[in-house]
Amino acid sequence: MSPTDNVSHRAGTGLGTRRRTWRTVDIVVASVLGVAFGLIFAAWNNFVYPTVSLPLEATPFSPVIGAVWLMPAVIGGLVIRRAGAALYTEVVAATTSMLFGSVWGLSVFMSGVWQGLGAELVFALLAYRRWGVFGSLLAGGAAGLAMGINQSIVTVPEFSLGWKAVYVLAAVTAGLVAGILSWFLVRALARTGVLAPFASGRVQAEV
Amino acid sequence: MIIAAGAVGRTTGAVLGRRNPVAKLGAAFIPALTLLVGVDPVSSGLILIAALLSVPAWGLTWREVFRRGWPLLLGVTTISLGNALFTARKGGAVLVDAGPFLLTTESVAAGSTAGMRLAAIALPGVLAVLTIDPVDLADSLVRHLKVPARFAYGSLAALRLAPLMATEWEILGRARRARGLEPGGNPLAAIRLFGGKLFALLVGAVRRGSQLAVAMDARGFDSQRARTTARISRFGPADAVLLGCSVALTAAAVALAVVTGAWNPVFSS
Repeated sequence: MSPTDNVSHRAGTGLGTRRRTWRTVDIVVASVLGVAFGLIFAAWNNFVYPTVSLPLEATPFSPVIGAVWLMPAVIGGLVIRRAGAALYTEVVAATTSMLFGSVWGLSVFMSGVWQGLGAELVFALLAYRRWGVFGSLLAGGAAGLAMGINQSIVTVPEFSLGWKAVYVLAAVTAGLVAGILSWFLVRALARTGVLAPFASGRVQAEV
Repeated sequence: MIIAAGAVGRTTGAVLGRRNPVAKLGAAFIPALTLLVGVDPVSSGLILIAALLSVPAWGLTWREVFRRGWPLLLGVTTISLGNALFTARKGGAVLVDAGPFLLTTESVAAGSTAGMRLAAIALPGVLAVLTIDPVDLADSLVRHLKVPARFAYGSLAALRLAPLMATEWEILGRARRARGLEPGGNPLAAIRLFGGKLFALLVGAVRRGSQLAVAMDARGFDSQRARTTARISRFGPADAVLLGCSVALTAAAVALAVVTGAWNPVFSS
């Protein structure tokens, strides 16, 4: 974690004055990650969700398999390392799945906004400086919490309070899973060298 | 892959189909956000019926909507069942009593209401999106909602890679099959293969995205000078009328629910 922190001061274009603004490569790569996950969402939404997870879906434990919804937020934050990256990537993913015919309409977009905000809030509280496994776990957990609360209003409003609590806890669990998976995924991405334009891709050079 | 390249929406010539994308999304958003506040069959039912009746006005056919929307039907059914099973409202006559699973007339009614409300939240957005071309959407967001152009067109550029990614997904699968890597009914192997394909897809996507960004910068995408638009997006009186109708319909639905006594704020139970 600590070598990463040293690097992040020189992140971005290398010009200190522009460190906080998004470069084109930040925007496009965040978007591309969002679109890739959006396609997975769309396939999941329309096929996996109503078929494979059918027996689970009617229960308060259904969010446990929802980690995939939360990954773009954490991955976007970890890769781009800028304010707004987690929210932006998650919203692009949600919008993509909506445009590619998700049957859940705008509720997908709203879920994306809340989940992205959850992860974004954690990265903001860590002052956009900590991108280690701890931050990923927290960001994933917060995204999961946001998902649980949002879904308990949108999809399971009639659950009793106790079952709603179980539902939200299941969502947080999914969030923690998403956090750790995303961290491993970004580390693996960095090792392939494709993250060279980003501070997150320079971690390996430091080791 | 299951997602066809042409799966995104297209503008139709019908009265609602040719409205501005921002107006369409706004019109779908108003009832969706309002229905979040309460859970009752009257307001949800009215919005759902209105959305179903509006299908021809979007330039869509019933068959088309059903062909795209059947997973919603399935999802709504299971979600209704879930709500009926795990609700605290277990009054009325007992219908099913199997160990921990208890269904009563009241719980089934509560579950159906939750399902219907979800359908009413989702359907207007589905109809709007089926008739929205992503290019028009980006133009409209920049022009009318002042979304930063670099983000709107940057994400549009990435969206254009979607068919490529879908093709690549297929190629990755075929490459693995050529190497003899097939799940063959083993779910663990299937998950591991899926993970490997997903990772390869992301690596390819990020690489292509970085190249795309360089190409865009070479064409002045990051320029600080004032930007002009290639296509014109108009928000006309008809678009305002669409938004007005959506507000009126939503208000009528809520008013009817309150008058009939069905109105039930979401946090009351």
